[in-house]
Amino acid sequence: MTTPHANPEDMDLYALDALDGEEKQRLEEHLRACPACQRDLAAARGRAALLGLSAPPAAPPASVKSTLLQRARAERPASAPQAVVTKPQKIRWGLRFSFGFGLAAAALAFTTFELAKADLDRGKQINQLQARLSKDELAMQAMGQVTSAPDSAGITLLQQPGGPPGQAHVMYNARMGMAVYSGQLAPAPAGKSYQLWLVPASGAPVSAGLVDANQQSGAVVVHVAPGLVAKAFAVTVEPQGGMPQPTGPKVLVGAA
Amino acid sequence: MTAQAQQVPDSALIEKMMAGDEAALSTLYDRYSPMLFGMLTRILNDRQAAEEVLQDIFLQVWRNGAQFDASRGSMPAWLMVMGRNRAISRLRGRRDREVLEENEGDFAGTFVSTQNIEEEASRAQMARNVSAALAQLPKEQRQAVELAYFEGMTQSEIAVRTGTPLGTVKTRVRTAMQSLRQILG
Repeated sequence: MTTPHANPEDMDLYALDALDGEEKQRLEEHLRACPACQRDLAAARGRAALLGLSAPPAAPPASVKSTLLQRARAERPASAPQAVVTKPQKIRWGLRFSFGFGLAAAALAFTTFELAKADLDRGKQINQLQARLSKDELAMQAMGQVTSAPDSAGITLLQQPGGPPGQAHVMYNARMGMAVYSGQLAPAPAGKSYQLWLVPASGAPVSAGLVDANQQSGAVVVHVAPGLVAKAFAVTVEPQGGMPQPTGPKVLVGAA
Repeated sequence: MTAQAQQVPDSALIEKMMAGDEAALSTLYDRYSPMLFGMLTRILNDRQAAEEVLQDIFLQVWRNGAQFDASRGSMPAWLMVMGRNRAISRLRGRRDREVLEENEGDFAGTFVSTQNIEEEASRAQMARNVSAALAQLPKEQRQAVELAYFEGMTQSEIAVRTGTPLGTVKTRVRTAMQSLRQILG
């Protein structure tokens, strides 16, 4: 006796994500055991995807692309440190980043000009400075977006019992998938790194990259997948270069 | 100039992106953002929200281009699947779709597309074919399919919205999808 295949009506509805209730459960049970129906479903989904082409194409604003490229450029893997921007201390979030960046940008621009005037052979240094200025500009723009967004939230991360003294602040925007981190800790033990984690409302912690012990004199932009609802942020001690999931002790924790 | 410049294949762009080439991301964005933005705007009916989802899609491609499996279908079809999932998720507050989208073991993320719509001309022709196919459908069939695709409604929700028995909704969707299949081959 052969197993009857899935009802074609249900297959089409499932391909459109429109099947519900017990019928959906039954179909999924069948699909798990039926490669032929799995192939039919994949083809039906491929056809269903084309329905979107019936919507007229529309050009998005240029700002979408420029922000996308800026975010892509600013992103780094968890094992790489993020761009750091100098800032003065004890000024409100947005202001202190802006002021700090302004000083850094002005200094770099002046230095670049002087180098160009003094010695053409130092072109390599100029290029490096310009690259740094460009990177800092992008980091600054990202910080400005996070700190000025009304749906960003500030979180204070406090030291943990038995851990090194320290404190940090995170300004997080779930919609953008970006956070601005600033904090200070004792230097990490030899061969270890500090790693920042977003602890989501459900699921495993998500790495937000490595952070320096003394991030107090600068701020760092970190990126995570947009839309993550944060329950907390934490900093842990991890093997140098970081880990996919936290393995070491929590030294700073802050509830969102 | 007598011939159009050869288009860099999507697969080559993905490889370059995985090596950190921002120009490849820029090219891919220019190629497919109008198609996606049109669909996202239709689903979300909110340009700001559509812009955010559009950016998230390409950022996802930038981060995880390796997830793209050319054996399963074309890049534009993958983008459409991912874009629709995210837009419907946002529209309906159903984050499950985004989770399922990247879960290899789940049928919700399974699709195969044999249609070649990488070239702009073939994509435009396919868009005309799909639009024509939908336009030829009886109003009730088209409405059922569009409520499912563009509004993310389930069969039960479509039945309530249209005041139609569930069995009729099933038949309408089935008939409409069969018509689409005949036209698309």
